[in-house]
Formats: sequence, structure tokens, C-alpha cells
Amino acid sequence: MSKRIWHHPEVPAGETTVSWRGVGQLEDSPAFRSWLDREFPQGVAEMADEADAETSRRSFMKLMGASTALAGFGMAACRRPETKIVPYNKAPEWVIPGKATYYASTMPRATGATPLVVTTFEGRPTKLAANTLHPDAAGTDAFAQASVLDLYSPSRSKTLLRQGQAAKRGDFEAVLAAVAGDKAAKLGFVFGRDVSPTRTRLAKELAAKFGSAKFYAYEALESSAAKVLGDGVRQLADFSKADRILSLDCDFASLDPQGPVTPFFDRRKPEGKTYAGKAQPQAMNRLYAVESAFSMTGGMADHRLRVAPSQLLVIAAQIARRIGLEGLVAQIAPLADAKHLEWVNVMADDLLQSAGKSMVLAGSRLPESVHSLVLAINAKLGNIGDDKPLRHVRSEAQGLGDIAALKADLEAGAVDTLFLLTPANPVYDAPADLAFPAALSKAKTVIHLGSRTDATAHAATWHVPVSHYLESWSDARSESGVYTVVQPMILPLYADCASELEILSALLSDDGKLVTGEGAEGKPSPAHDAVRKTFEGIAAKGSDAWSKLLRDGFQAGTSFETVEVAIPNAPIAAAPAAQGVEVVFATDASVYDGRWIDNGWLQEAPDPVTKQSWDNAALIAPETAKNLGIYDEIVALETWNGATGPDGEGEHRSAPLITVAVNGVELEFPAMISFGQAENTVVIPLGYGQGFDAEDKFGRNAQGKAPASHVGQVGVNSGFNAYPLRSSTTAYFATGASVKKTGRRYPMAVVQEHHAMYGRALAREISTIDSGDHKGGFEEQLHNVKLQGNDGHAPPNISLYKPEGKDGKPHLSDPLHQWAMTIDLSSCMGCNACLVACQAENNIPIVGKEQLAKGREMHWIRMDRYYAVESGNDFDPGNPALVPQPVACVQCESAPCETVCPVNATVHTEDGLNAMAYNRCIGTRYCANNCPYKTRRFNFFDYNKRNPLVAHNLYKGPFGEKQVGTAPHLQRNPNVSVRMRGVMEKCTYCVQRLKDAKIRQKRGQKQEALLAGKASPDSEVTTATLRIAVDSVKVACQEACPADAITFGNLLDGDKSTMVRAKGSDRSYDLLHYIGTKPRTSYLARVKNPNDKMPDAKWVGKATIHMH
Amino acid sequence: MANLFPRWTNFLPLKIAICAGAVAGGAVLAFTYYATPKTLAAGYQPSQPIPFSHKIHVDQLGLDCRYCHSFVDVSGHSNVPGNNTCWNCHQHVQKESPKLQPLRDRMDPTLKHADFGKPIEWVRIHKAPDYVYFNHSAHLNRGISCQSCHGRVDQMEVVHQENSLSMGWCLECHRAPEKHLRPLEEVYNLNYSDADVSKYSKDAGVKTTVDLGLKLKEHWKVAPKESCATCHH
Repeated sequence: MSKRIWHHPEVPAGETTVSWRGVGQLEDSPAFRSWLDREFPQGVAEMADEADAETSRRSFMKLMGASTALAGFGMAACRRPETKIVPYNKAPEWVIPGKATYYASTMPRATGATPLVVTTFEGRPTKLAANTLHPDAAGTDAFAQASVLDLYSPSRSKTLLRQGQAAKRGDFEAVLAAVAGDKAAKLGFVFGRDVSPTRTRLAKELAAKFGSAKFYAYEALESSAAKVLGDGVRQLADFSKADRILSLDCDFASLDPQGPVTPFFDRRKPEGKTYAGKAQPQAMNRLYAVESAFSMTGGMADHRLRVAPSQLLVIAAQIARRIGLEGLVAQIAPLADAKHLEWVNVMADDLLQSAGKSMVLAGSRLPESVHSLVLAINAKLGNIGDDKPLRHVRSEAQGLGDIAALKADLEAGAVDTLFLLTPANPVYDAPADLAFPAALSKAKTVIHLGSRTDATAHAATWHVPVSHYLESWSDARSESGVYTVVQPMILPLYADCASELEILSALLSDDGKLVTGEGAEGKPSPAHDAVRKTFEGIAAKGSDAWSKLLRDGFQAGTSFETVEVAIPNAPIAAAPAAQGVEVVFATDASVYDGRWIDNGWLQEAPDPVTKQSWDNAALIAPETAKNLGIYDEIVALETWNGATGPDGEGEHRSAPLITVAVNGVELEFPAMISFGQAENTVVIPLGYGQGFDAEDKFGRNAQGKAPASHVGQVGVNSGFNAYPLRSSTTAYFATGASVKKTGRRYPMAVVQEHHAMYGRALAREISTIDSGDHKGGFEEQLHNVKLQGNDGHAPPNISLYKPEGKDGKPHLSDPLHQWAMTIDLSSCMGCNACLVACQAENNIPIVGKEQLAKGREMHWIRMDRYYAVESGNDFDPGNPALVPQPVACVQCESAPCETVCPVNATVHTEDGLNAMAYNRCIGTRYCANNCPYKTRRFNFFDYNKRNPLVAHNLYKGPFGEKQVGTAPHLQRNPNVSVRMRGVMEKCTYCVQRLKDAKIRQKRGQKQEALLAGKASPDSEVTTATLRIAVDSVKVACQEACPADAITFGNLLDGDKSTMVRAKGSDRSYDLLHYIGTKPRTSYLARVKNPNDKMPDAKWVGKATIHMH
Repeated sequence: MANLFPRWTNFLPLKIAICAGAVAGGAVLAFTYYATPKTLAAGYQPSQPIPFSHKIHVDQLGLDCRYCHSFVDVSGHSNVPGNNTCWNCHQHVQKESPKLQPLRDRMDPTLKHADFGKPIEWVRIHKAPDYVYFNHSAHLNRGISCQSCHGRVDQMEVVHQENSLSMGWCLECHRAPEKHLRPLEEVYNLNYSDADVSKYSKDAGVKTTVDLGLKLKEHWKVAPKESCATCHH
């Protein structure tokens, strides 16, 4: 019998939306088609031909026979290995072995601290979640989720270094004590841009003790907004008050926060945040975005304009002109492009109509001129004020010099002992024209505190490993300035670690003694005393207030002081004319400015837009690539007979290397096509290329500045360093670049075509307006959500599955709980927070670049990213809609995977989960083959035991190197099995959390009996006793989501559950409904809220993704 | 040419085959019978660093299980007591006993022993594999006693593993919990028997622990799951 081949549904006649995931698919290449038919990239999982398969099978049997026979001789398995139980010597208070304890803490960050609740098991922090009590709580992002891995990372700096060589702590303590004793010492301190009240207080004391001490702040990606707003002043956006939002290159939803972002997403849901009402488009906000390359915010926009960075000032000027600020912008050239002019004018009119309820946000990387102009525009629109969407606040971090001042002071000899306490890496990431490394060598002693042995650590006299924020006492201010405490979960894992406050405290003490972690006789760290003293100055004295702070994590009622900012009224100068190709130096979604390069979870998480992992690439719009003559090469590689392999996919995928020359420096980067990017623009993410070893075949360390010692095993040979192209005047945007082909290629790991689904109308989108086509008005589109794609005309399925078992009991028999989920595409921006949270919760390993390129990534959540454009779009066909769609196992009630498993390793539970019994799985992979959603992941190797980051290690089998270090297993969630090689795995709705909640609920029976004073057999047990409270259990992805896009709950709770209300929405649809799998996860169609007067309005809200 | 092989060799191949078959069959049978948790795990009785007697502490002195295993009804994991639990009494009681020397070395600062402040490493007796999630509190709070799995620990001088703890053994109870269900008041009473039933039921038909178990199963809506994810995730 021949194999039945699935034929993709034909494209229907009336189809106007063109949607794609990758370039190959857009070009509809034969290679892409064959990719769709297969589960894994070619050559990864199959034998080359029949003969090969036959011999392999035979040799396999021979080997297995021999090894079984040999196993008999040893009988090693017969004696049970002796294992030990090691209880506490003195049991600490509050710790219950086997049960999680939760503490409130904070991750300090330059953009405002992220308030967290930390899950700890027997003192080990394992998982982070947002502290929802906190007024600034807005979920978490991928960085916050991944930060717990850094604590245990084998790449973490563990020992003191002196001039790059291991040193003794005693020697460093002596140096520090000498500095502390010398009140005339010319000290310099470089802090990060995060705000810590205690650090500010100690800095003042240091200034008093050391008369000539100087203070600076430095981060690689600093905003120029403060230069306009004033020292320490930042702008704070309240998205709940904004009906119209314009983002000028501002990725406020993800990488460039401007205020707690959850309220923005609440207003992307037409039914309201809790799905309580009917869908009302007027309740939604409207987002306009003007940007050069797709950001997560731009992907959410109702109207998006792509322009080169030099045009952003011109566009801001046009808005100013339109709303009556002509005087300010007389010097700036008018907007030349007629289409853009109309777009901007209509948009400005809309902002004007919503004056007082709108906001214009300028990206932090924009030049001062745009920030001034935007400030004036917001003032003119009346958007600034106490009850208005925008206000300005001043933090206590004032009077800090910048890196240019530091360089000047170093060269003038005003600083001879420098403390580099910033999380940035100035030797690597300072603007190239500053020649910072040369200035640094002028200081007599440089003491660097950092978490990695990076370039700065090696350039410094002393490198001190920093305590992780989960190991140290500190405090921070969240986005609106709420005082938030950082408390340690565990003592520093390594004895040499010190925190910033501990070093400052040592300098302030008389003897200069450095006390870290814990003082003598269990006395708390001096950082604790310092924080407590600060807190007593801010709130109340006494232990009650302090205990409450430690419990809640923050002090209610505290905030930054609101200030009034002078509104610019002088004419704003025009920018010099742009020539040549423009370059944007972008924040990277995986490594930020380079500080996360040694974090495996972030490196492996695909970039939300390009879907590239482990590297960066120069991104170029398709038309520009064609003009440069590299488009064909990229597409050729993705289509037919690539240069390095049979089809240039999977492990053979590569990208052409181009050179980008700007500011007098020429560097090589691999090039990638990026849709929706402005023409004539190259976008280069920063932060890569920090260290290379002998495995690097591309000579990226030609200058010898980036040896492997600067990074750990994760970051080595990763990407290309773009910092040398940056100067202090062109920190983010440069013009006059030239781009050339080199003819060489670079291997890439891009997941955009892995695990692609077939079928129709995967992600659905509707618009709130009637654009005059057959789709009708909002009500009609809403009604038709469930009928899009095949679902409109496929006859209802008749299921061959019986809903009950042989014993007549229904399969889904649990009368207490039936779990289900919804994912709202209207608020999902595709930021990867859920993906990384899932990795932390479920012990998901990383597999490394080589394995990832082969399609063997293990992420349980696949963050699909689709592009779609309407055929006939005459406004800008090069500006497609970007639709993200997270897909994890949807827990089909009629699951195709279950019927094909030969060993019943994947079966249904009574409460509606599609369970995986890992210990039962024999690895046939039939289930993954039969999964229409492609959500199952297979452990091709023992990723948990063998280190996938050592080159070629996995293929050495038992001779390979084991996971390095003793710490990584400490992060593991003890309630989730660590899977071994040859086992299939997938999402099971965090079944361990559901179990925990159910068991906790059952304990209530005993409590009730005790309270009632009755004998237990007489106590009443009802459904209410055993069913967990409505919406009381949250799964890891839902908990992490800053957009509240995921709801989860019990179907039997009815309308009391947010999830059930969301499922009842007209926007709710099932993925691949027509194949009859009855998934428990349903999706809510994305709603775009366009302005019907805009020239591009009729092309908006049509991006239903049809994959044919 | 003379016959090289004598006549009796005609049936030699058959005899060899029968013998080999019998040996192989025997080996398989022996393996399936002996290489199971029932044989390999039940009865495991290692010696401990301190020969702690449950019989003295529970049966003679009447300590409750939860005096030492204090979190067994709130946590999935039943904790083994820390040294300070032992030291509470044994800094006053049995001060000279040589059996308690390891405890004194660890807890008495005046001895200045190298092991001071270190925990005692007990040998684990009951072990579920890593891929099994077992929760003590879920069972104890719904009327399954310690005794159902661990046996009469109160009668053990040296603790041994009573039951196989194999999956089949777990499922026996999940399929018929009434054999082990008992009133919550009796969970820590390892001596619970038919004689105790009358305290909880006036019903004349309820005479044995199983009768009461059946009643409790219905009254408390006890429906133990048999799906894989109950224990494996």
C-alpha cells in the first residue's frame, strides 16, 4: 500500500491575502514545498536510501544483541545503588522540603526595575514571575525570565582576576582597604543607569568621605531624552489613558519601555480586559508606528509607515506643522513623499482630535532634536500632566557624568582609581571614536565588578565577580519610582562574589573590610544594613514596616517626584542630509546590548522578527537587497541546490557575507532579508562577536581583541560585533554607508521554516472598519471569524473516535476540572517571554546552534511569525503585516498523536490533558509525525547530560564531555522529569502546577473537618471542596505574559472564569478546526483598529494567514 | 569408511536443543519472577549510621509519626528529621549511649569534632524513580495511612521496605482505594483494625475497615486517577 500524500488545499479564487513565513515560501520554491511535507530537514532523521536503511538496521540489531549479551555478564543493575538522605542539621524556618517557597524581589534594570516573585525550592531560586501586587507590575519579558539561568551559569565569573589572571581574595581586600583609608584618593565610580536609592545615598556619603571622588553612569544603549528633559528626568507613559498612540521608532512594548505596558494591551481587546462585555471597537486604542525595521511594537500597529531613520525628524516636523507648531520647524525640510505626507497629515489630525488623550512616543535612540520636537508636540496636544497620558518624573540618580566626561577625567588624571560597577562592558561597547580602552589604561587601578569575564574584566586591574541580584541585598525603583526591595534568595554561590553595595559599604567603613554574603556569626551583609537604613529614611522605622516590605517587595505610596519640564520653543535645527545607505544599530532581542551573550536560553530563543538564533545578521529590505545584487543569492540558497548542501536548508543553511563600511570602518556581516524594513537601510543588532576560539572559521578575531576568554561556552563564536562601526555622534543611526558582496557565506540557524503547519487561516485578523470589500463591517467580520479559511465550507466532521471507553465511562470523565486555554492574537506581540518562561518551568534544554539549524530545537512553544500583504496594496506593498502566533500543544480532545503511539506513552487524562509519560516513550516519533500542529519535540541527544555547546560533543556519545560545572542542575524544577535521549516531549499545560493546586485544594477537606469539630467521616465533601478556586492556577506562559494574551482555567467554572468568557467571544476559533481534533487551546482573532481616513486603511486588518 | 559418529549421536542435536531451550526458558522465568521490585526492592533493610529504632520511639514511647516527619501532611516529600529534632531530647536523654555518638559529634560544640554542624547521612530505603511524582500529603489528607505503604513501622527495630512500590502495586490501590481508606483521625494510627470501625459508624452493616472504606470513598468522593499524568510528568 502506498503512502497517502496530503495535498495542500488549493488557493481559493477570491483569495487576496498573500502570507508567508520565510523568503523561500514567498517565492514558493520547490524546496519549501518539500520541506512542508517532511517533519524534519532533509537528511536529519532519515537514511539516505533503502540500502543504507537496510544495512543500518542489521548492524543495529547486531550491536544490540551483543550489548544485551554483554550486559548479562556484569549484572550491574541487580544491586540497588545506595542513596543517601541528607536532612538539614538545623532546619531553617519556613523551608518545607519538597515545597516551593515564594519571595518578593526585584530585577534592577536601567528602564525601571521589574518586580518579581521568586519561586525557591529548599533555598534554590528556580523560577521568576511578576509580582502582581506591585503597582507597576506588567508581566515579565524574556530577559527577566532568563535571568535566573545566569545565577547558575557555568559561564558565570566565579573568581577574582588580577590583570586577567586568577588572584587571591586577600590581596584584593588589602587593595580595597588601602583605598578606603586614603581620604585624598582620586576615586571614580561608574554606575549603571538603574536607580537604587541606597546606592545614591552611599554615593553621597562617599562624596563626603572622599573629597575628590567623581561619579558617572554608563550603559551601552543610553537614551538622549534626558538631555532634553533634564538631569535624572524621564517620561512616564500611562497607556490606560491614551486613545491614540504614535510610536516614532519607539519599541515601548518590548525593548524600549516607557511605562507599564499591560494597560496598552488591555485596550487591544475589544471586549475589554476581562472579556466581560461585547466587542466594542471604540473601547480600543489606536496605534500608529513610524519605524525603520519591524519591532514588536510596529507589528502591533494599526497603521505602520516604514521610513529610513533620517526621515523620522522630517516626519515629526510634519506633525508639528500640522498641529500648529510651524514656528519650531521652519528650518526643517518639508516631507517630500506625497503618500507619506497624506499618511502623516491624516494621522496628525487624528491625534489632534484626541488631544489630551493621545501620546507621541519617541524612541530612546532618536536624536535630541526629535525628542525636543516630540515634547513640544505632546505639550501642544495637552497630553502632559497629572491626569494625562504622559508625565515627567525625576529620579534620585542625578549629577552623574557620562562616558565622555569619564574619558576626559581619566586623561586629565582627575581619576586614578576607577570602580567600574556598571553592568555594561565599556571596553567592548563604548563608541569607537572615544578610544575608551586607551583612556582606561591611564588609571592606576581599575576595579571592575561584573558577572562575566568580558573584555572590560580583562582590561581592568582587578575583576571582582558580582553577586547575582538573587544573591544580594539592594533596592531599586520601578518604572514609576515605587521603592522596591531586592532581597537575596541564597548566599552567593562562589566565595569571591561581592555586590555593588558591599563594595561601597567597605569603602565607607573605617577599616575598609570587605564583607560579602554573610558577616561573622550569621550577621547580615553590610548591604542589608545599608538598605534598611535607606528604607527607614523613606518609610517608617521599626520592624513591622520592614517585614511588610520584605513580604510585599515594595513600599506602597512611594514614587518619583513629578516635575514640570520646560517645553522647547526655539526652532529646531535640521539634521545634515543623509547620503548613501543608512545604518541602524539596533538593540538585540536576545543579547540586549551584549550583556546576555552567555545566556543559553536567550541565545537559543529565536529573534522575534528574523527568527534567527545564536547570531546576528545585517538586515536588508528585499528591494534594497535586489539592488545590491544579493537577493537572488539569498533566495537561491533557500530554494534550489544551495551552495553548501543538497538544498541549503537545515544544517546547510547559510547567508551571504557582506561588508558594511561606515564611519571609516569596514566590517563583515551575514545578510538576511527583512520584510517591512525601510529601503536603503541596513539594520545591525548589537552585542555579538565578543569572543572566538579555534572553531571559528571566519577570522572574526583578526584583530585579536576578542579571544575566547572574554566569553563562556554559550557566547563563544556567536555573531558579529557591530560596535566598532558606532561613534558617539552616530550611536544609533549612521548614514553614508556602503555595502558590498564578498562572495563568502556564513552558516545560520534560522527556525522560521521549522515545524511549519499546513492548513488554512491559521492566524486570523479582522478590522473594525468596513473597507468596502466583501468582508463587510466589524459585526460581519466578527461573525465570520469562525468561518474563515476552510472552516467556512468544510462539512462538519464526523468523528470516528468514541467519546467513551470500553467500560462506558467517558474519556473526559473528571467532574471537577476540565482544563483549557485561549491565546488572544489581538494582544500577543510575539516577544518570547512565554517561550523562555516555559523553558525555565519545564526543564527544557538548549541544543546549540548546530542542532538548532537541523530543526531539533526543544522549545515547547513555537513562536510563529507570519507576514501577510494584500495583493493590490497600492500604498506600500513592501510593508506587510506581521502576525505572531505562539503555538504549543493544543491538547486535542481527539488527539491524532495518541492513536499512533505503539506503547501508549501519550494518552489522555480525565481532565482533558494530552499527557506524555516520558518513561514509557520508546522514541518512534510516530506521534510527532501525526501531529498536525507540529508541537512535539524529540530529544535526539541527551542534551541534559552531554554538553551540546562543546563542538561535536554530542556525536561522541558516552565519550562526550558531560555538562560542565556543578550548578546548572540547581535551576531545575524538581516537579518535572528531566527527559533523556530518545524521548518525545511537549507542553502539558504545566500539569505539575495543576497537580499541586488540586492537592492543595484537597487538604481543605481536613481543615474543614477540624474546624467543624466533627469526626472526619461525617464531614461533608462537595464539588466546591475539591474544585480549585476560579482562575487560581496560572500556567508559566500565562504568568509571564506582559500582554495578558493567555488565559487559562477550568471549563467547568463557566462564565466565572476569564478563559471561558474569552472562549465565548466571537473572535474565538480553533486552529485547524476543520480536521476535527477538537483542541482545548483556542485562539482569538487579531483585531486591527484602523482610521478609515488613512490612505492605507483598506489594507489593514486583512492579514489572515492562509498557508496553502 | 567407518562411521565417524556413533549411533547415539543421531539425537544429539535434538537433545542439545531441548536442554538449551529449558535453560533459556528457565532463565526467562527466573528473571521475570526475581527481577521485579517485589523481589528486589521489598525487604531492603540497610543499616543506618545511627541504629534508630522506630519500635522504641513509636510503640514504646508513643511518638506520633509527625513529631519527626513533620511536613508529611503538607508537602509531597516526607521530610527526614534534622539533627536538631533528635538533639531536642538526646542532649538530655541517653547521653552516654555509644550508638548516639555520631549525633553528639555533630551537635555538641564542646566535643570540637570535625563533623560538627554537618548533617547525618541516612540511607534511603523507600525510593520512587525520578520519573515518578508521589505526593505524601495528597494521600494522608484523604485517608490513606502511612501503614498502607510503609507497613507496621512502629513494630520495626530496623526499618525495611515492606511493599514493592511498583506501578502495579500503586494501581491496585488506585483501582480499589476502599481497602486502605480510613478516617482521617486514624491515618497515623498504624494499629488501625476492624475493632476501630464502630467508633465511626453506627451502621450495623459496617463491620470491617473495608466496609467503612467503601462508605468513605463515596462520602468523600474519592476517585483516584489511573491516567499516566497522575504520577508521571
